[in-house]
Amino acid sequence: MFDINWRGLLLPLAYLVVLVGTFMTFSTVYRKRKAFQSANLAPWFGPHLQRNIYLSLLHMEPEEGSEKAPKVPESVIRAALLRRALEDLNRIIQIRQAKAACSNLLQKGSVGDDLWQRFLRAEKEMEEELRDVVMEANALVPGWGQIIFQTANEIAANKALRERLEEIEGQTEHEKEWWEKKRATIRTEFMKELDEAESKSVASHDEPVLVDTNVSSSRPSTPGGAAKKGKK
Amino acid sequence: MSDQDSFDFIPLQIDPKTKSISSLSASTKLEAELSALNSLHRALHSLDAPHLVPPPPVPVNPKRSANVQKLRESGNTEYRKGKYAEAVKFYTLGLQMALQRPPWEPQGLVREEVHQLYSNRAQAHMQLGNWPEGAVDAEASVTAKSQGNAKAWFRRGKCLMEMGRYQEAKAAVAQALEFEGEEKELAELLKEIESKIVSQKASGDA
Repeated sequence: MFDINWRGLLLPLAYLVVLVGTFMTFSTVYRKRKAFQSANLAPWFGPHLQRNIYLSLLHMEPEEGSEKAPKVPESVIRAALLRRALEDLNRIIQIRQAKAACSNLLQKGSVGDDLWQRFLRAEKEMEEELRDVVMEANALVPGWGQIIFQTANEIAANKALRERLEEIEGQTEHEKEWWEKKRATIRTEFMKELDEAESKSVASHDEPVLVDTNVSSSRPSTPGGAAKKGKK
Repeated sequence: MSDQDSFDFIPLQIDPKTKSISSLSASTKLEAELSALNSLHRALHSLDAPHLVPPPPVPVNPKRSANVQKLRESGNTEYRKGKYAEAVKFYTLGLQMALQRPPWEPQGLVREEVHQLYSNRAQAHMQLGNWPEGAVDAEASVTAKSQGNAKAWFRRGKCLMEMGRYQEAKAAVAQALEFEGEEKELAELLKEIESKIVSQKASGDA
């Protein structure tokens, strides 16, 4: 009944094969290239030193001469994990702060798509990193995962506060020195003024000379002499 | 870190006795990090027996707060007796105690304790005529707590004024007024400083 003309169909079939084939090659090549590109984008953050230390501690290698790897006490591991959580918190804050600015700049076209890709990848990595830290914490001490970041947060805030206070307290010596110098100059000027006033009053008795006896040595506010204390 | 399963191995060594971690490769960054790690490790050892890791920030162990409180009160007693140098000593001890609080305890609490101590010490320094120390302490106090700390702001302005640094004093008091609203004492101090600036200018021009 139906006599298929295979020879006549050969041409359209070949066309289809070529079409699909081209499409597939193109898509695989394109995808591979894209993946390669995004893998080669510079990471947003530098190497995660704390994470490296933590994992290195877990995988300590035996020292020369001995067979067994040195035993790392749990407390050191816990401290290292806490340090890692601290750094993660730092990075998360950076990401949160950068996000609005970054997307804004992308919309305006001020930054390229590359930057945005890098940013998104960093964000995703951080999410995984946080999950990883919580899991590790729970494995070390049950229930620690819920509070490790609270703790890390307080540690970071305390560190910032203490550094600031230390910086302020560090000024004390400098300020004291400055004040000693200033007080010395004030005193010498005050004495000079007194001398001048005296010699003046010796020279001409009829001119009344105003010497403010209430002025303490720390505050030179004699009406006539203040003109001279221009230098500090 | 290109993917989550790999990491850069760092050759580390552990001292069998002190348990401190060190590294052979001498990079300053790594060394700083390791020393931070070791000090944190030592700090973790101060935890009380049942805790392996720092407990949640609240509630706090009340022992240290009580000690700080006690030192502050001793300082206040000495101050009232007029022994200002002694008071300064007590406040300094209290500050040391408050600042040595373990880092995982709430920083809000540290700020609360520290701002009072600094403010009180500033007052004692002012009584002794040590204006520079007073100014620094008052500044530390307002850094720890800038709102609801009118006394410390006042002391900072006063100390700067006494040292003849009118512009700085004016800036400090103006900032204080922003934080504290219309505080009567602060407004008066501002007026005093402004009049000083005017008289200084007048005598400078003469």
